[in-house]
Amino acid sequence: MNRTPSLVVALLVAPLALVLLWAFHEALTQPSGARLADLAETSLSRTGVGNPVTAVLLSYRGYDTMLELGVLLAALLGIWSLGRVSPGFHPPELALTAMVAWVVPLLILTAGYLLWAGAERPGGAFQGGALLGAAGVILRLTGERRLGLPSERAQRRLAIAGIGAFLAVGLGTAAAGLGFLAYPESWSKWLILLIETATTLAVGMTLAAAYPGGPPGPAGNERDAP
Amino acid sequence: MDSLALAVALPLLAALLATVWPARATLLGLLGALATAAAALMVITEVWEHGQLSTALGGWDIPLGIALAADGLSAALLAMTALVGLAISLYAAAYFDGRQAMHFWPLWLLLWTALNGLFLAGDLFNLYVTLELLGLSAVALGALGGDRAAVAASLRYLLVSLLGSISYLLGVVLLYTAHGSLDLARVAAALQPGPVAAAAMTLMIGGLTMKAALFPLHFWLPPAHASAPAPVSAALSALVVKAAVYLILRLWLDLFAPLVTTGAAMLLGGLGAAAVIWGSWRALHAERLKLLAAYSTVAQIGYLFLFPPLFQATPPGPGRDDLLAALVLMILTHGFAKSALFLAVGVIQKRSGHDRIAELGGTAQRLPATTFTLGLAGIALIGLPPSGSFTGKWLLLNGAFASGQWGWILVILTGTLMTAAYVFRVLSRAFNLEPTPPGFVTDARTELPALLLAAIAAIGLGLAAAPLWPLLGGGEDGT
Repeated sequence: MNRTPSLVVALLVAPLALVLLWAFHEALTQPSGARLADLAETSLSRTGVGNPVTAVLLSYRGYDTMLELGVLLAALLGIWSLGRVSPGFHPPELALTAMVAWVVPLLILTAGYLLWAGAERPGGAFQGGALLGAAGVILRLTGERRLGLPSERAQRRLAIAGIGAFLAVGLGTAAAGLGFLAYPESWSKWLILLIETATTLAVGMTLAAAYPGGPPGPAGNERDAP
Repeated sequence: MDSLALAVALPLLAALLATVWPARATLLGLLGALATAAAALMVITEVWEHGQLSTALGGWDIPLGIALAADGLSAALLAMTALVGLAISLYAAAYFDGRQAMHFWPLWLLLWTALNGLFLAGDLFNLYVTLELLGLSAVALGALGGDRAAVAASLRYLLVSLLGSISYLLGVVLLYTAHGSLDLARVAAALQPGPVAAAAMTLMIGGLTMKAALFPLHFWLPPAHASAPAPVSAALSALVVKAAVYLILRLWLDLFAPLVTTGAAMLLGGLGAAAVIWGSWRALHAERLKLLAAYSTVAQIGYLFLFPPLFQATPPGPGRDDLLAALVLMILTHGFAKSALFLAVGVIQKRSGHDRIAELGGTAQRLPATTFTLGLAGIALIGLPPSGSFTGKWLLLNGAFASGQWGWILVILTGTLMTAAYVFRVLSRAFNLEPTPPGFVTDARTELPALLLAAIAAIGLGLAAAPLWPLLGGGEDGT
């Protein structure tokens, strides 16, 4: 690459960045009325969970989270539609294989912990799902073609589990006359836990399945040839 | 039951079912399309009766929960999406089979979910989420063509789409930092002209013009729309691009109304004018029908951006209402016409194995109905009466006359002539079994003068008739 254009680009972008920083500074110093974050804290007791981040994701703005899971699903379906890829992995070293036997169960355990802890402390469905996805990626790196994932049929069910839980609860509360995704206060904690569990599985499965690219392979031939 | 939430929930539910039962995807998809259209009809009827609808989701009041809202503008786009979506669904049921159908239906229903969600959103961050869902499902659908060109075009589309979304999101971050709320109506009420609002407006509208393919940010559109399967091209051109235009309009009129300046409006108008000319020019020179249709989309989007300068110059009142109606009319007409065009091209492509314009001869004999479709869509694109874009362009011209912005009139007329030229170029080939002539002009010395005379008679006099009045009226105004 020649350096002149990139220098020109840098010179053009720098003033833009300064203007943006200035605008951001102005926005920070502008006095504003009641802020959303304060309101989210004061209403926390009515959500059934103690972690404000979980309350925002699952209760206040659950509709956003449902559509975000739709984005994940679209990404996975898009990857699956692109056709098969050739496996491009080296056979694993012994040390890696031995370590993975420890790491993967730990990741799964930690994912479960994060899911449960998310109600009161930092953690939650997306963090837990990310760990599950990482477990799948590590398995793939050691030559496990299917990343520890079940059949394509089961993968399709898992991929929609999060949105499915959101929709079932949402349509249920709407049919009960409460409004879409308006959890009754006494059930709130358990409905959130239900949605979060399904979301953890869906996120973990989606991230893992997205990693190698291409649709789920046929059964058999589970490991890369050494 | 809340019709606003249903209009988003039903296509999403259908997408999930089509994902889980891929072997039944077509049937589930068609049922989902019907249910979605019915939910849209419910919303439209309620808007018709009550004027405006709004609801807060999740059982939380507005600043905390997410608002869904519908007014006339969103109802109009919802209706267009429902009708075009139904037609595309019926077409796709016959067009795709086997593995392609399995891939198409869930993504198409997710796309529909995103469109309905976007038209009904009343929350700035929720709009970003719908934009992401829309962009990603559109990109995945565009790549269904399967060949290398389609995937490459889709990848570029993905990058542009992400850049547009991120730019929009940056603007939302600024607004949220300044005003502590994400609700469209609340932020609109609190917005003060200043550097924050100006930066947010530039980022948000700038990012969206990228998604709307406004010249010169249109470069990604022709390859992406031309290499996708026909039903997908129809959805991309008629619906997905319109969603970005709708959002620009919504922000321009509702959120940034106190902020927009004549300069900004003129900039959009100027880019729109360039899009009209450049898009029509490229459509005129396209060798393939799909590329022609895609460049025609670039041009037709351009017309829509001629409206902001006129909005700016027209005080609120019947004149402005006329302009808004005209703009919506043009969005709708283009949505129907362009989806019809792409679907018809798909038929031709499947029958003859290609869509090269030069080899269309005899299409009228082989596919009369499809050729008639091309003709009707062409009439609507040109804006001949009684099409919607005739009324739209008429009111647009009226607005330009009333506000004395003569430059736009020239652009509209030139663009219309060029549209007529590329439409008739296709139709003449389609109706013609004879070998096509080697060139337009056969003998320049004898033909060009006659052509010039005809052009003056047909066009020149219409445009330059004004001097006749003082000339004939001689002396009445004191000269």
